[in-house]
Amino acid sequence: MLNIQKTLENGKALFALEGRLDTTTAPELEKELRDSIDGVSALTLDFTDLEYISSAGLRVLLAVQKIMNKQGEMKVSHVNETIMEIFEVTGFSDILSIE
Amino acid sequence: MTIKLNGRIDSNNAPQVEKEILDQLAGQAGAPLELDASGLEYISSAGLRVLLRVRKLHPDMRITNVSSEVYEILDMTGFTEMMGVEKAYRIVSVEGCEEIGRGANGTIYRIDQDNVVKVYNNADALADIQHEREVAKLALILGIPTAISYDVVRVGESYGSVFELLNASSFSKILAKDPEKLDWCVKEYVDLLRKIHGTLVPAGKLPDMKETALSWARFMGDYLPEEAGKKLVAMVEAVPHDDHMIHGDYHTKNVELQNGEVLLIDMDTLAVGHPIFELASMFNAFIGYSEYDHETIKKFQGFDFETGTAFWRKSLAAYLGTGCETKIREVEDKARIIGYTRMIRRSIRRKGMESEAGRAEIKLWTDELLALLEKTDTLTFSTGELELEAAAENLPEVQAFVDEHLERADCPPKAQMQIAIAVEEIFINIASYAYAPDKGKAIVRVEVSEDPVTVTITFVDHGMPYDPLAKEDPDISLPAEKRDAGGLGIFMTKKIMDNVVYEYIDGQNILTLKKNL
Repeated sequence: MLNIQKTLENGKALFALEGRLDTTTAPELEKELRDSIDGVSALTLDFTDLEYISSAGLRVLLAVQKIMNKQGEMKVSHVNETIMEIFEVTGFSDILSIE
Repeated sequence: MTIKLNGRIDSNNAPQVEKEILDQLAGQAGAPLELDASGLEYISSAGLRVLLRVRKLHPDMRITNVSSEVYEILDMTGFTEMMGVEKAYRIVSVEGCEEIGRGANGTIYRIDQDNVVKVYNNADALADIQHEREVAKLALILGIPTAISYDVVRVGESYGSVFELLNASSFSKILAKDPEKLDWCVKEYVDLLRKIHGTLVPAGKLPDMKETALSWARFMGDYLPEEAGKKLVAMVEAVPHDDHMIHGDYHTKNVELQNGEVLLIDMDTLAVGHPIFELASMFNAFIGYSEYDHETIKKFQGFDFETGTAFWRKSLAAYLGTGCETKIREVEDKARIIGYTRMIRRSIRRKGMESEAGRAEIKLWTDELLALLEKTDTLTFSTGELELEAAAENLPEVQAFVDEHLERADCPPKAQMQIAIAVEEIFINIASYAYAPDKGKAIVRVEVSEDPVTVTITFVDHGMPYDPLAKEDPDISLPAEKRDAGGLGIFMTKKIMDNVVYEYIDGQNILTLKKNL
């Protein structure tokens, strides 16, 4: 229920997510990210086709943000209105840099 | 007693007619009196005054077999409201007419393009016809789309009631002709069923189905082992009283499509009671009566046993609002208990024991009934409830269950997603902590109420007492390094929903979430 498309190039990583980031799928994303971001200085998470996020997904975003704070920068792009509200309610809009 | 009125009654002969009537009634003041007006052609005001004087002595006086002409006079002068006046019945023949339905009490024929007549089996059916008219009127007023008979006629030795039914086609006919319309039929059929079961009936207006079912259960006492018989009666007794409407014979021949409108017909079995009694008669119509001989349903419904079974199971799933096989089977088993009880009693009373096929059928049903009584303890269920193992892998089933209720309530997509988040947070919490390291069940209930439209979702578990709301809210102003993700789920739930309440009652954690749509 979550499709992850990743592109890695010259220390830049792009993860395009499609579907639902929930209890079931969050561990997959976490594993993919941890496996790939060694040495990555710029990470972008493209949320164009992400429909749903629960606290399990937020947990992954927070963990990855903490890693990226040490080694570079992280952006979340194309966030839909409903997910944006979730970010605002939880204060994640202040932690993440959202485009 | 009955006195015949003949010819014309006017000022010329009124005194004489009055004397004749009073002579016949001598010494019987107050006795029930029927004036048979089949021979009466005309009555003037002098004649009407005679009727009034006779009625003083016999307050229960009725005038029967009144011709249309005389009825008009009685109606204009207010006599029809003052005393019992019964019209003469039009005579209708059903010879060569298409039979479009057959129920427990009668057969329905199409007499012309716009009209059908329901001919009652019982020769003395006037009381039945009157009853059906009254309950159909009641149902219509309460918002159930149905047809009301506008005339009572004689059909041979029986009575019939005439309904207007234009270009209508029963769901049985549609299914027999067009099997790919099954899903459409299921949806319309279940929508109407929900409407019926959602209709509250003023007390005393309709018979209580539970009483009827109790009489069936008691009858079975002589045919079941003592313990099983007692359990059956106790289970029916334990079904709570319910003042919502049930149709009582809700199968696809009694649902008609007329000009795009779905109509309920054959209203004489209308009752109040718990929906399990309705499901029992539905099970019988689609499976029960044809379980021994699969050909039976073809004669009755016009479609085959497989179609009947598919229709029943899909309808039950849609009615319960769940795709959960376990839940569907559980409710089906409850319906079968009442269904078999009814069929066995019916068959025994119709001398089923006297034929080999009858005995085989009764044995099949009795064996099934005994097996069901073994493993079932209650007959009740609720439609907006899902009980399942509190495990993360069951989350999709919970989400689907909640979504279906929300979609039916035309919930906007954004609110639907927000509610889905809250449902995930709470269910995963229960799955992770309530019974750890053991396993246990969770119950999820969904209710949608109107004015204003509010969704209430309730989670119940029997795990260790735990109030998720007692935990302090996370500080959402902290920078990433200082934050941990704990408590976010409950925090989001509180923000998304309009009201979240925790209670611990009788060993159960009960968390109730409400959102106004």
